[in-house]
Amino acid sequence: MSKDSRMKATVNQKLTEMGERERLKELLRAKLTECGWKDQMKAHCKEVIKEKGLEHVTVEDLVVEITPKGRALVPDSVKKELLHRIRAFLAQHAT
Amino acid sequence: MKMEEVSMSSLDNSKLEGLAQDILSDLVEDACLGLCFEVHRAVKQGYFFLDDTDQESMRDFEIVDQPGLDVFGQVYNQWKNKECVCPNCSRSIAASRFAPHLEKCLGMGRNSSRIANRRIVTGNNTNNKSESDQEDNDDVNDNDWSYGAEKKAKKRKSDKNPNSPRRSKSFKHKSSMMGPRRRLDNQESPRMLMKDEAFPQ
Repeated sequence: MSKDSRMKATVNQKLTEMGERERLKELLRAKLTECGWKDQMKAHCKEVIKEKGLEHVTVEDLVVEITPKGRALVPDSVKKELLHRIRAFLAQHAT
Repeated sequence: MKMEEVSMSSLDNSKLEGLAQDILSDLVEDACLGLCFEVHRAVKQGYFFLDDTDQESMRDFEIVDQPGLDVFGQVYNQWKNKECVCPNCSRSIAASRFAPHLEKCLGMGRNSSRIANRRIVTGNNTNNKSESDQEDNDDVNDNDWSYGAEKKAKKRKSDKNPNSPRRSKSFKHKSSMMGPRRRLDNQESPRMLMKDEAFPQ
């Protein structure tokens, strides 16, 4: 399994070095905003804040509440598109 | 390259797929965290709830979607058929023709002054006042062409382009020899006044 983890580390490194990771991040962010995910999550944040109180809410609170829901709410089309690009990168640079 | 060797031996489609999923997962988590930080900062800096309005105002400004009204709820062809009374001539004019009518009626638009001037020029033609009455300094800023008409319509003339095709050329020839020739041989013909020059004394 260490071979795999080595490969993983190398791929990740290449991803970052070639700027592809940044591009993918930007792409994901744009897609999520476009499809309304960001607005949905913001609305959820409002509820959390109202619950915890404006003054006392911490980053941890938000992270704990938001992240699982955020992951679940990513639309399939966005996931597919990102995966497509990642696979293309892997095919080019991991083989 | 070392990487190729490693991947060649452990290459497996499912492994690659798993890797892709991992990368996606990282990216999504990154996006979520980014959102959390953004929201948290907005909360602490006090601008998170800034663009919220209360329900009542929202209802006041909702988009209107009825026939015959625009999105603000105003009737938009209200004045198609209305008529207005002209304050000058006291006639009843249709609303869409009102502005041009006022222009002519009050004598204040671009066109109306042109028409009036033309009438004056042709009026003078028949009235026969076309001597070259050269007034030195006062009329210096005016056009050379129509000496007779100058006195009557001094102010308006200075707005006009001396080369405007609308001028009646026959009149120009009568009163001064410096007619259309101006364009061709500026130097040779008897020295012509440019708009801003004074008569040589």
